[in-house]
Amino acid sequence: DLLQWPHISKCRSPEMETFSCYWTDGNFYNLTAPRTIQLLYMKSIDEDWKDCPDYITSGENSCYFNSSYTSIWVSYCVQLASKNEVFDEKCFNVEEIVLPDPPVHINWTLLNTSHTGLHADIQVRWDPPPTADVRKGWITLEYELQYKEVNETKWKELKPRVSTMVPLYSLKTGRDYEIRLRSRQRTSEKFGEFSEILYVSFSESDSECVHCTEEIGFPWFLVVTFGACGLAVTVILVVLSKQPRLKMLIFPPVPVPKIKGIDPDLLKKGKLDEVNSILASHGDYKTKLYNDDLWVEFIELDIEDPDEKNRISDTDRLLSDDHLKSHSCLGAKDDDSGRASCCEPDIPETDFSVSDTCDAISDSDQFRKATEKEEDLLCLDRKDDDESLASLANTDTQHQPVNTQSENIQLWPPFADSIDSPRPSVHTHISNQNSLTNADFYAQVSDITPAGRVVLSPGQKSKVGRAQREGCREQNFTMDNTYFCEADVKKCIAVTSHEEDEPHIQEQSCNEDAYFTTESLTTTGVNLGASTAETPSAEMPVPDYTSIHIVHSPQGLVLNATALPVPDKEFNMSCGYVSTDQLNKIMP
Amino acid sequence: MSAKGASLKGLLLGILLVSNMLLTKEGVTSLPICPNGSINCQVSLEELFDRAVKLSHYIHSLSSDMFNEFDERYAQGRGFIAKAVNGCHTSSLTTPEDKEQAQQIHHEDLLNLVLGVLRSWNDPLIHLASEVQRIKEAPETILWKAVEIEEQNKRLLEGMEKIVGRLNFGENGNEIYSQWEGLPSLQLADEDSRLFAFYNLLHCLRRDSHKIDNYLKLLKCRLIHDNNC
Repeated sequence: DLLQWPHISKCRSPEMETFSCYWTDGNFYNLTAPRTIQLLYMKSIDEDWKDCPDYITSGENSCYFNSSYTSIWVSYCVQLASKNEVFDEKCFNVEEIVLPDPPVHINWTLLNTSHTGLHADIQVRWDPPPTADVRKGWITLEYELQYKEVNETKWKELKPRVSTMVPLYSLKTGRDYEIRLRSRQRTSEKFGEFSEILYVSFSESDSECVHCTEEIGFPWFLVVTFGACGLAVTVILVVLSKQPRLKMLIFPPVPVPKIKGIDPDLLKKGKLDEVNSILASHGDYKTKLYNDDLWVEFIELDIEDPDEKNRISDTDRLLSDDHLKSHSCLGAKDDDSGRASCCEPDIPETDFSVSDTCDAISDSDQFRKATEKEEDLLCLDRKDDDESLASLANTDTQHQPVNTQSENIQLWPPFADSIDSPRPSVHTHISNQNSLTNADFYAQVSDITPAGRVVLSPGQKSKVGRAQREGCREQNFTMDNTYFCEADVKKCIAVTSHEEDEPHIQEQSCNEDAYFTTESLTTTGVNLGASTAETPSAEMPVPDYTSIHIVHSPQGLVLNATALPVPDKEFNMSCGYVSTDQLNKIMP
Repeated sequence: MSAKGASLKGLLLGILLVSNMLLTKEGVTSLPICPNGSINCQVSLEELFDRAVKLSHYIHSLSSDMFNEFDERYAQGRGFIAKAVNGCHTSSLTTPEDKEQAQQIHHEDLLNLVLGVLRSWNDPLIHLASEVQRIKEAPETILWKAVEIEEQNKRLLEGMEKIVGRLNFGENGNEIYSQWEGLPSLQLADEDSRLFAFYNLLHCLRRDSHKIDNYLKLLKCRLIHDNNC
């Protein structure tokens, strides 16, 4: 057998005036000397342990402290000891160990019965335990009632309450009930012992209905069965019925996503290019997506798409208001789109692939391809011919190199047709640029491809002399396939050109070279200045572009004949890019 | 955005309703029978005692819960037996310690004692509320209970002063008060000693709140219901 030490099982006060402590013997002393267990106690203010005042009143193995020994709100320690051996010790305050006696005089009365006589309400009453002095308010009690049918196992509990009566509703008159109560001090959590069980049974007189039958429970089983059957039958009928309307009513078709004109298969196969193009034909597509970042807009469109269907004429396309940026030169606008950073001539190609604002990775490849194929908008055309001087003829200027311009004029049929005014001189000026980075962004449109793209041509490359080319070589055109601003090239060209034999013509031709950016065509009515006979110098590149004054979009252009020597601040950034290859072709 | 605003409003309303419900459940709503500023209206003494008893009961249940939570959380395994023989700072006040003594004492003296104990606890409660926040990982329930007890204690003190005023007796010359010196112990560096100090303080608080609750119930039954509660 396990050795069990004597220990204090509990200490309890029923009414907060006395208390008792109980202990167990354990099997320790069965074998040895008679029991000499003692209970010693000590109040907090005492200094030594005292013996229990009453071993008898509370029964065996107990110690009873009457009211004279009991002080509330004072801490006690009790000790179970034998001679010199301490078995157990406990410390407490008396108000913490209050477990009241159960209530007494429990009875019940009938409140009323239901019409059917099958149910009844009763009122249960009781008195507080006699030991607890509730009347003077020394102790406040709470009561809990529990009841159940006689043959049930689980008790139903009511909420603890202070009042000494409680109604019980809707008891079945045909059954017998058991009721029991217990109490606790209101400020504590532990209940005292249960009272004796009260039996409730209803006599025949209690239930008025004599002929009432035994109540049947609601036939849930039947309801469920029939309901399920009915539902199944209905569903089968609906499904089998040929009536599409009914079927649609109950099983409506789930709509699949559809975009007009797009074959879902396209999306599946991942041909985004085609999807893009289809979407592009819906005018709003681009503007919504790329409203703020025109730079991105330029880049992300597939320039090379040969399948693009053009139902709009070239003119309209160029002059129309919507942003068909795919055909525009990467002309710099005077807004803060990220293009500016890409206009740096020093930017190596790799930067394009990493820069968010300037390029998409996939598109940088396209750019490269484009330049090589000479279909690139961005670059000056490499046609080294007299067409570089092409511009719209001037009627009012002193420069009349009509011959040289004739070819170019032919290249501009759309514009010629649409221009209202007599062919004004299209002069531009290159803004006062001394560095490679400052350049204007005009390029001469030398051709318009059937696809609707504008091909830009450089200026005066035919007139560039060798010496100057070499001089130009000294410039920083060492990187392959990089983009340079046109102005730099122009400047180079201009520098070389003005040392030619015919500077006059050069100037003229410079001046007469004209180019537009589609963008400037479509967006700005920029007051561009055309330069007159500016003396070309090394520092001041010859302005060989004219500019558009007003765009009577979409039908007309008015070109500015006046020359502004002041560089236009708006056009600080270069727009055109020349690849090194092209540049090298310019300068052999 | 409007839907969001509406849902926020609904949530706020819900919180208000629930909190109101909880407060009424605790029995600490002080629905004023006399609105503020009215001169002729007088709350009955019975009503005053009712409120005082409700408050004292609430305070005791709060401090009891707080002690139990603290005991569970920090005292287990540390051997903080409820020896608490260190005594409480209010032990110096001579208060009745059993029913006979409580019945014999005059209600004025008893009321003054109640006031004295309440005043003596004003200071410790303030510090308890602030110091308990410095306990490492103190549960939120303990924190807000400390604050709540401190608040309710003030309200109970005000109520008791009103009752005393209503009963038309002033306090004696020597005002009952016990100074609390325990603040340094709550700020000890050693965590064990500090927690033991808290344990003691909470134990004393539980005891004293029970004492006050009992005295007030006694007084209520004696004065209002004529010993026939």
